[in-house]
Amino acid sequence: MSNSYIVFGRRWTAQLTFAIGMALIVVFSLIPAVGIVVISFTDIRSLPFLPVRWVGLDNYRTFFSSAQLAYNVAALQNTFVFAFAVTIFQNVIALLIAVLLNQRLKGRNFARAVVFLPTILGVTVIGLIFSLIFNPSAGPAAQLWGMFGASSAFFGDPSLAMTLVILVQVWSGIGVAVVIYLAGLQAIPQELYEVADIDGATGGQKLRHVTIPLLAPSVTANTLLCIIGALQSYQLIYVLTGPINPATQVLSLAIFTQGFGGPQGGAVQSQGYAAAIAVVQFIIVAIISLATLAYLRRRETAL
Amino acid sequence: MSTMTSRGRRAPLATALTCIALGASLALAGCSGSAPANSAAVPTDAAKITGELNILVSSASGSDAGFKAVNEAFAKKYPDVKINFTAVPNENYNQARSSRLSAGTIDVGLANPRQLPSYVPESNKGDDARLAEAGGFVDLTDQAFMKKFNASVLDKITYNGRNYTVPTGLSYYTGLTYNKKIFADNNITVPTTWSDFIKVLDQLKAKGITPISIGGKDTAGIVMLSVVQSLYPTAQNKDDLAKGLYEHTVALNQGQQLEVLKKVQQIYTYGQPNFAGSNYNQMTSEFLTGKAAMISDGTWNVGSLREADKVDFGYFPLPASDNAADNAYLGGKVELSLAVPSNAKNKDAAMAWLAFFADNYKLFNDEAGFAPSQEGVEGDPFYAEIATYTKQFEPAWDTIWIANTKAGQAAALPFNWSAVKPMGSMDAQAAADASQKDWEAGK
Repeated sequence: MSNSYIVFGRRWTAQLTFAIGMALIVVFSLIPAVGIVVISFTDIRSLPFLPVRWVGLDNYRTFFSSAQLAYNVAALQNTFVFAFAVTIFQNVIALLIAVLLNQRLKGRNFARAVVFLPTILGVTVIGLIFSLIFNPSAGPAAQLWGMFGASSAFFGDPSLAMTLVILVQVWSGIGVAVVIYLAGLQAIPQELYEVADIDGATGGQKLRHVTIPLLAPSVTANTLLCIIGALQSYQLIYVLTGPINPATQVLSLAIFTQGFGGPQGGAVQSQGYAAAIAVVQFIIVAIISLATLAYLRRRETAL
Repeated sequence: MSTMTSRGRRAPLATALTCIALGASLALAGCSGSAPANSAAVPTDAAKITGELNILVSSASGSDAGFKAVNEAFAKKYPDVKINFTAVPNENYNQARSSRLSAGTIDVGLANPRQLPSYVPESNKGDDARLAEAGGFVDLTDQAFMKKFNASVLDKITYNGRNYTVPTGLSYYTGLTYNKKIFADNNITVPTTWSDFIKVLDQLKAKGITPISIGGKDTAGIVMLSVVQSLYPTAQNKDDLAKGLYEHTVALNQGQQLEVLKKVQQIYTYGQPNFAGSNYNQMTSEFLTGKAAMISDGTWNVGSLREADKVDFGYFPLPASDNAADNAYLGGKVELSLAVPSNAKNKDAAMAWLAFFADNYKLFNDEAGFAPSQEGVEGDPFYAEIATYTKQFEPAWDTIWIANTKAGQAAALPFNWSAVKPMGSMDAQAAADASQKDWEAGK
């Protein structure tokens, strides 16, 4: 007892623990982040033997140049549509599933495992599964469409590709959101529901006046995770629709293609340019995340 | 007051972080700029050939099998060498090579330094050309094993008069692979002009056969390259076009340049339903199951098609011109070119491996199925069948064109094939206008 007091009660142990955590964050997050800002002013190509030159604001000028602006604005619009749709649908569906799975149902644990399953699949596996499902010539989706006398190129259809990618992203990310909501639901005292029952509240009224207000911290956590994840996500889009499909081009995919291999035969800029796009993306993600956090925190207090 | 104190305490942290990041970046720059030694030789003493040999290539089933065959034979001759062979998907190769080159863990890899024509600004120089100039690759020009390769092929991959790479073969990809049985059953002969070609496509469509299977998700650009090959049949024609574009004396939305996209749009109408969503495997499957009479593909797929052994196939140039002479030859490229980075840790083994590869080239090419890059080596019998189309090597458009980093994305190749319906949402004229606008913006 006295030993544990000495170890955990002293001020220096807390400071040491904090310092180790901070050191990890500084070395693996802060320094690389500041490094990205620095290299966005260079023409670095991340190859040995090639000199790195300071190019000032050239990469930012290229990003906002008339040749690139329309493409980048379209990518930005796609990014917003993707992030907004994924955040809304993922949260609403996850909340409904979590409420359902919080009931005393037969096979509840199995259902929970099934809902969480997509989370443990890799992006490539998910890409392969949905490429097969939406194979335009022989996939099950094509057969379903065929029953209604319709056909589609699915991921190759510029007007449908983004919707399908959003659907797959929601499907693949819903497990984590459900787990967070379930944890929040289980933390709500049962007595509150009993009191609501005594007052004659309906199921909908209990959801609105008890569950949702007390789930506010979980909503905040899920919304922020979703927004930040969706604004930075490109892997599924890359696997499902390819790196240069204008219909699904998002900023983070542009960073990847510019930094590590552009379109077939197309122009590949330096990784300094990719870093400049990353900085622009960081500013956008930071503004949106902070604004959302501020709004949700205010709402939490109001509830 | 407290705010001031707080600021005063945070400022050194921000400064320190910036200094560390700057220092790291400058250190990186320092490392990057060091001059390498770019000469090496095949060791005469076999006892010196030991240790680990790291080979990194992009993956394709045929070439992977070819490299493995060479590696096995090499391992028997040099048992003290441990070969670490890595084949990564083509789309991830640049990323893998970049990190492994920086770490110095590639002894034999791929490179393609391309000569920049005088009319192309220096800013468009590719990474490999920059690396070659900086001494990043071992100069192989005077190595004895290079003499085993066809001089005209070596000439195509010369950079500033020197050879930094070993050519593993040639591929042609401005044609169509066709099902001989479907052609015979429908009394169709190989078309040699555009009007004949359209008649064949209409005839097949009327019989309920998909005329051409296209891989919209990954290889649909081959249709555009095939049309360009016929409309600009010689290397000189293509070079004149590239020069005209860079000097802004020709426009992408006029004349023959517009005709390219109009013909691409017309060919798309003969593709399988919803081909924009099909990938390479799905495209090939349509052909192998006899649903499609032709596929828009390169000769690199010969080995896989032969292995599937389901279809008797041939190959002919896509005839996009009404002058048969313009459709006479296939456009192609030198396939995977092998290089030794100057920072390779085991140059002795790397040079010995390249010499062994040159001596045992047939071992590789029997599996890879490329058109041979060595004289006297017999390739797949398929290449004898298409010899009339390849007796004069014509470089494909994408091996001549150097993309302009200042131009917009619609002018990357610069023909905007991916914007044409159903790949995109525009007709040929609108797609050409978009690419011209993006090209002009990069002036």
